[in-house]
Amino acid sequence: MKRLIPLNEKARSLASAAGPDEQASLMSNVAGCTTTFDPGWEVDASGGLSGLCHPMEADLYGCTDPCWWPAQVGDSMNTNQDWTDGKNSALRDWRQLQSLFPED
Amino acid sequence: MKYWLVLLLAFCSLTATAKDYLITASRPNTLHVIDLAARKVIHNFVIPGPGIASAISVVDGGKVAYVLTNHNESVAGIDLDTGKQVFRADMSHGNVRVKSMLALAESLDGKLLYVYQIPTRLNRNDYQVLPTRIAVYSTAAGLAAQPLRVFPAPRRISLLAPTAKGNLIGLGWDLYLFNPATGAIEKTFPLRHWQRKGLGEPDILDFWPQFERAHMLSTPYYVPRTDVAATSPDAEEVGVLTFDLDKEVMKATEVGAADVGFFSSVVNPVDKNQVFAMMNQLCKIDLASGKIVKRVDMEHTHYAINISSDGKELYLGGTINAVSVYDSASLKKLAEIAIPGGGDQGAASLRVIER
Repeated sequence: MKRLIPLNEKARSLASAAGPDEQASLMSNVAGCTTTFDPGWEVDASGGLSGLCHPMEADLYGCTDPCWWPAQVGDSMNTNQDWTDGKNSALRDWRQLQSLFPED
Repeated sequence: MKYWLVLLLAFCSLTATAKDYLITASRPNTLHVIDLAARKVIHNFVIPGPGIASAISVVDGGKVAYVLTNHNESVAGIDLDTGKQVFRADMSHGNVRVKSMLALAESLDGKLLYVYQIPTRLNRNDYQVLPTRIAVYSTAAGLAAQPLRVFPAPRRISLLAPTAKGNLIGLGWDLYLFNPATGAIEKTFPLRHWQRKGLGEPDILDFWPQFERAHMLSTPYYVPRTDVAATSPDAEEVGVLTFDLDKEVMKATEVGAADVGFFSSVVNPVDKNQVFAMMNQLCKIDLASGKIVKRVDMEHTHYAINISSDGKELYLGGTINAVSVYDSASLKKLAEIAIPGGGDQGAASLRVIER
């Protein structure tokens, strides 16, 4: 690696960038992206459904906007900011919400 | 002497004509002002820029609501009469992304705005987590507002509220009392670090500021009991935490086994032992006896709850596109106020002010 010489601006910025930090830190607070991996959303704490929000659509954007369940719903705070654009009512517009893939 | 006379006259003038208004938000990025007596949405103001509106700060008699927007990276101050944006703080700069997880509050006189900030430096091949902090803005700073000062604050704060003594309380894993002039933490009220016999660590999820009518911050919490078997139906308890914003006193009251889910709660301004909490059921809680004294099923889930100045009506919002009005004595539903356009409120604040 020592023999590789950066030739363009991006390569130079990568070469001068800090390396991986040995200390890992949580990104934000409890209510926030990917810091919480509670099971839930599909089932409640007792494995049933009665403790979930109802209808399910009532809870959808409350989970999307503060990035509460980033695996189950889109993350409109960071990585998929336009996921719900034009779909302002989850009850009315849920059919228009599309699946998300890494390239999105 | 004249100064106090003017203040007295202003107070009398406000109380003589003041009405309750509800301030909330919905998609797409719209702020709503509701005349509660008329059960009518009187203003719908579109907030400039992308994202949705979430946390809202507004004080009694206030002309401006301060709203977190732009994917939690900006605060917009919206004039409540004209809808004009009169304040804007875009918190991210350069390669430092600054978000707030819904914690912002004004000083009681409306002159300062406190915003809890979570900065992250986005480098090309790594993200650098930066210390969390509270930024203090002058509400007169205009459309390119920069903080007057910042001071460090512990991670995980999701609610801020001003106290009558000029301090600022922050709800995180513990409850922190800040002196916002110096940035010092004057006192920490332990929550996750409390040592209470027979109880483990409480679990709290709350970012709904609903303290303005009773001057009491309140939140539901869930706590495991360590003196019964983990398989017992009584192994988990639900409680209500209150923090008196006038006296700066915290109280935690368990109210029974955790057979009901709560998102948020509000204290009755005319009987501060009475708390209302809800998620799928609306419950009336008596803190003096530590019991849930009445509960009713709701038609759908709500996240947020607030109360009228006289304590007679409850307002339930958040989630979908309507604010429900309930009688606080009988817990009977009185009315439903539809949000124009049908957009979801999501996790937006539900503030009740007098003006």
